Amino acid sequence: MSDRTENLLLAAPGLLLLALAFFLPIGQMLVLSVDGPEGATLAHFSRFLGDGFYLGVLWRTVRLSLIITVICALIGFPLAYIMARVGPRARLWLIILVILPLMTSVVVRTFGWVVLLSRNGLIPELLRDMGLAGRTFALMQTETAIVIGMVHVLLPFMALSILGVISRIDTRLEEAGRTMGCSFLQTIRTIVLPLSLPGVVAGSLLVFTLSASSFVTPNLLGGPRLQVLAASIYKSVTQTLDWPFAAAQAVVLFAGILLVLIPYVRLTASDNG
Amino acid sequence: MANVRLENVKKAFGPVQVLHGISLDIASGEFVSLLGASGCGKTTLLRIVAGLEAVTSGKVEIGGRDVTALAPEKRDISMMFQSYALLPHLSVAENIRFPLRMRGIGSREQQQDKVRAALETVQLGHLADRKPRQLSGGQQQRVALARAIVSDPQVLLLDEPLSNLDARLREDMQVELIEIHKRLKLTTIFVTHDQEEALSLSDRIVLFNAGKVEQQGTPADIYAQPATEFASNFLGSANLVAAEIGTDGSATLADGQRLAVGQDRPAGKVSLVLRQEDISIAPEGAAGLKATVRTRVFLGARCRYILDLAGERVQILTGNDQTFTFGDTVSLSIDPARIRIIPR
Repeated sequence: MSDRTENLLLAAPGLLLLALAFFLPIGQMLVLSVDGPEGATLAHFSRFLGDGFYLGVLWRTVRLSLIITVICALIGFPLAYIMARVGPRARLWLIILVILPLMTSVVVRTFGWVVLLSRNGLIPELLRDMGLAGRTFALMQTETAIVIGMVHVLLPFMALSILGVISRIDTRLEEAGRTMGCSFLQTIRTIVLPLSLPGVVAGSLLVFTLSASSFVTPNLLGGPRLQVLAASIYKSVTQTLDWPFAAAQAVVLFAGILLVLIPYVRLTASDNG
Repeated sequence: MANVRLENVKKAFGPVQVLHGISLDIASGEFVSLLGASGCGKTTLLRIVAGLEAVTSGKVEIGGRDVTALAPEKRDISMMFQSYALLPHLSVAENIRFPLRMRGIGSREQQQDKVRAALETVQLGHLADRKPRQLSGGQQQRVALARAIVSDPQVLLLDEPLSNLDARLREDMQVELIEIHKRLKLTTIFVTHDQEEALSLSDRIVLFNAGKVEQQGTPADIYAQPATEFASNFLGSANLVAAEIGTDGSATLADGQRLAVGQDRPAGKVSLVLRQEDISIAPEGAAGLKATVRTRVFLGARCRYILDLAGERVQILTGNDQTFTFGDTVSLSIDPARIRIIPR
């Protein structure tokens, strides 16, 4: 047996699973999105793109996902650096702490935030008591609430992606930086950050796609007024039973994510040559 | 350029005491080797001078200034790492410019001129735009050297920089290091476990053993007169043979053979230091000590024999004019004046 066939055999189960569980439904979704009473039609797309409400939903989805990605990177990078540089025991505890949110059910976790963020919840109360917020201050059913809840869940993806890369960076490079006149922060900026860029990119891709397609957390924390695209798709499927329109929205989401990601990957890939 | 002064520097990692109070004065422009086996604390001491490791107690001065509590970037030093530690995301020229950029030395044009000059010094001008991983080990090593000297540091620290090179390149680099040192007159501290390297490069050798200075002196002194058993052992080419000095002043080996030692010594148990190139070998029957040939190593110009003398392993270095093979019994003779005696 040649190497080629052997490789193909090894890849076969994965490819089969992808074909059955991924490409088939996507194909179906594409077909469904142009399905109309008199054959193929683009009516669902023109309805979506012609309606300011739905465009607003799309814009909110992309904007929130970008904000969530940036915040995750800002928190995740220092966290990952610390995780990579502490002793093995402390690292284990930090990793457990970081992935803990993933071990709880999304509903339980989100309701936890509902309790904390609601009008009489711990956080708004505290802010009001400290005089940092007005009497009418609320966090629930705001975009801030969505961002907080999503960052909480998606941080592990960012932190662990970056951790993998940083822990492979030779610490002697940082020491060399120090002997060449870099302060600690300059070492981070000129040596660690550029070298951990692949991890930041991988983490950003994960976080962005996951947050753009997430639905439970934004729905519960943002409420019905602040819809994101995934929630709107859900509504079309379960409430208005307009499946072709739901499929069209899904295609728009898919295309939107690709539009953001492809230039991003291109841009960062060239730096790491 | 500046002198370096260490005052009773102690270092412990947790309960493990690595340095037991090292005091050292290194003159401005001097090339000092810290020589010792791995784990003897020599690299730790270098890292303390660099500021990468804090002292447990003691004082470090560079150029008369107390730098004990100063961060590495605030000491005017540069260090060359055993692994070279080139920055993989920067080109060769950018790597060499890095210390200038970070220390804010000169304008961009001046920096580029310095980089060019440093690259010429190590003969790598044609590789300026390559990335480090596109270079061979020897080339990476030269880039690291260029980067270490480009900023004209007060002190140059070299941490076993030649140990990853093959023998030929290592010899070339030794010559290059000597020439660069002669030209730039940088105060240099060089850490190595290779005695030949230390002997050939330095103005002074500081021999380390288990976190203490065992002996220090010029290469010629330390080679000719190792003060302790450890020193003579470490400076490799000497053989140590157990013996007992009798009342008549001659030495008796373990198997009863006797030889003259040419020095007045009180009677007692001693180790004789027999340098490998001082021993001459002759066929059996000539006057001298009887020994048996174990192995012969052909070295081109010369020949090394491993011999069994009174139950101990002895190495000698000799010409190729006569050959002996395994099992031959031979006679060894040594000029009594060249035997050193270390009490046991």
